[in-house]
Amino acid sequence: MDIFITLTINGLATGMLLFMLASGLSIIFGLMGIMNFAHGVFFLIGAYTSTFIYSLTGSFALAMLAGMISGAAIGWLTEITIIRRVYNNLVGQILITLGAFIVLFEVIKIIWGPNVIPSPMPDLLQGEISILGASISIYRLFIIIFSCLVALAVHLALAKTRLGMIVRAGVENSEMVKILGVNIRRVFALVFILGTGLAALGGTMIGPTLGQIGPFLSTQYLLLSFIVVVLGVMGSFIGSMVAGIIVGLANNYIVWFYPPAALPLNIILMSVILLIKPTGLLGIKEEA
Amino acid sequence: MLNLKNWLKLPAFWLILASIIILAILPTITSSRFILHLVSTIAISATFAASYNLLAGFTGIFSLGHAVFFGSGAYVLAIILFKLGSTPLFFLLALAVAIVIAVILGLFVGYLALRLKAIYYAMITFAVAELFVITADKWRELTSGQDGLCFQLPEFLSGRYTAYYISIILLGATILFMYRLLDSPTGKILVAIRENEVRVSALGFNVFRYKLLSNVVAGILASLAGIAYAVLNQFVMPTILDVNQTINALLMTIVGGMGTLVGPVVGAAVITLFGDWLAGLAKISPLFERWPIIFGLLFIVIILSMPGGIMSGYYRLKSKVFRSN
Repeated sequence: MDIFITLTINGLATGMLLFMLASGLSIIFGLMGIMNFAHGVFFLIGAYTSTFIYSLTGSFALAMLAGMISGAAIGWLTEITIIRRVYNNLVGQILITLGAFIVLFEVIKIIWGPNVIPSPMPDLLQGEISILGASISIYRLFIIIFSCLVALAVHLALAKTRLGMIVRAGVENSEMVKILGVNIRRVFALVFILGTGLAALGGTMIGPTLGQIGPFLSTQYLLLSFIVVVLGVMGSFIGSMVAGIIVGLANNYIVWFYPPAALPLNIILMSVILLIKPTGLLGIKEEA
Repeated sequence: MLNLKNWLKLPAFWLILASIIILAILPTITSSRFILHLVSTIAISATFAASYNLLAGFTGIFSLGHAVFFGSGAYVLAIILFKLGSTPLFFLLALAVAIVIAVILGLFVGYLALRLKAIYYAMITFAVAELFVITADKWRELTSGQDGLCFQLPEFLSGRYTAYYISIILLGATILFMYRLLDSPTGKILVAIRENEVRVSALGFNVFRYKLLSNVVAGILASLAGIAYAVLNQFVMPTILDVNQTINALLMTIVGGMGTLVGPVVGAAVITLFGDWLAGLAKISPLFERWPIIFGLLFIVIILSMPGGIMSGYYRLKSKVFRSN
């Protein structure tokens, strides 16, 4: 029983990180129709920046903030310099985000080197507590609670503010929003900043759970977030949360039984869903 | 169809003839292993890029898992020769198995995924490529994982210039085949699908079946390029299956000129030579070890400013010159 609880908590923590990464991907796709193949790199930017700032200042809160801001800032730069030019060009979008992936990935390797670097656990969040006889890492609890707060904040922003309303309307029908006189380009840029910022914020928390970070995280987590996006529904914030938790839990349970099977099973799951119902399993809305 | 007399007037004909002669006698001019290896690498990359070009440039299908064909061809040869022994018979067996696997893979993935929209197709092929990388990485008994697999070639292939000639002939055959294919009704339909899928299907053609054909043919060509790669290097490792390998072919195609016959060859030559030069500079400054960043920037610049690549620039220049005459 106690191993089950531990696995569940770990799975929830992984799931929430995946949700942070995938929700941005999903909203960007829903609103702008762009599948951002560079999204994994923003996760990486968050991870590296926070590890670096933490080693400098010793403040994990500051490290997380810096990670998120750098991710959002680079996201903004990417949007205004290259993404903006390929809005109406489907092939160009795939290619340009791949190009952004190559460039940003190499920049990270130039700054921090191609090898893994250690990422220590902040002192305050070290240790474990006991729940029903199972020892639970405090850090993982922190990830779950903090991500829930972020999710709540973003959900409220999307549901209650005028801007959030425009974003939701844009996901439904961006032509109509444009006709109503909204400067959709500015909204696009904001959503891109939000999406990449969320990915980077998720990235800031990954390091201490693994003890180290490296360039390999980018492809691995991009793939997992694809699975989440497909499992949830493109453009749905809540959908990516549910899907993130499902993939996170499934991943951790399978890893416990037979580690090499975890990613392949998830990939097969995603392929099957894409083939049967490309609009997403949990989807309510039919995508145009 | 052009007859011989018209052929002789074409500058392209003389250019092709000259390059065939130079490539054929190159080993007698220089016996430098380095240069021959470089030219063979260019030829193999060009074959792989040309096969990708058939898919992306001519049919308009963007796969991120094309390297799976390339890598599986190379791995099949390596595993069969390593496990069963290096005899000519097993080499032929490997060739047959690699082609059969390419056909099955092309049909299977294509049949399931080609009905989806372009973005989903890119995502699913990305996932399939990762699946193969993971398999090659984890199934250590078969593939030796990250260490890669070294193997011996059968005697008839181990000559000094054999791999070189195999690569060159494969490239020549691929270009010739692509030329004939694109000149045929089937080829015209593939290009039409890229231009306007709905119209082609309204004309009564089974778009899906043609896409499937393009996928399988491109897969077989890529698999053959993979076999040539394995023969040249006598070594395979999981990175030849991954997304970066596909992106490389994409880069070569884009730089050279997407949807042109010679584009991938020009692109492969430019990228390979340039990459080799930049990698050489790493001795001067470790910063040059990160040379792919230059390609990434080049990639973005070309997509934004010159979507047709080098060959379209050349054609534009040519048409300007002719107009001024």
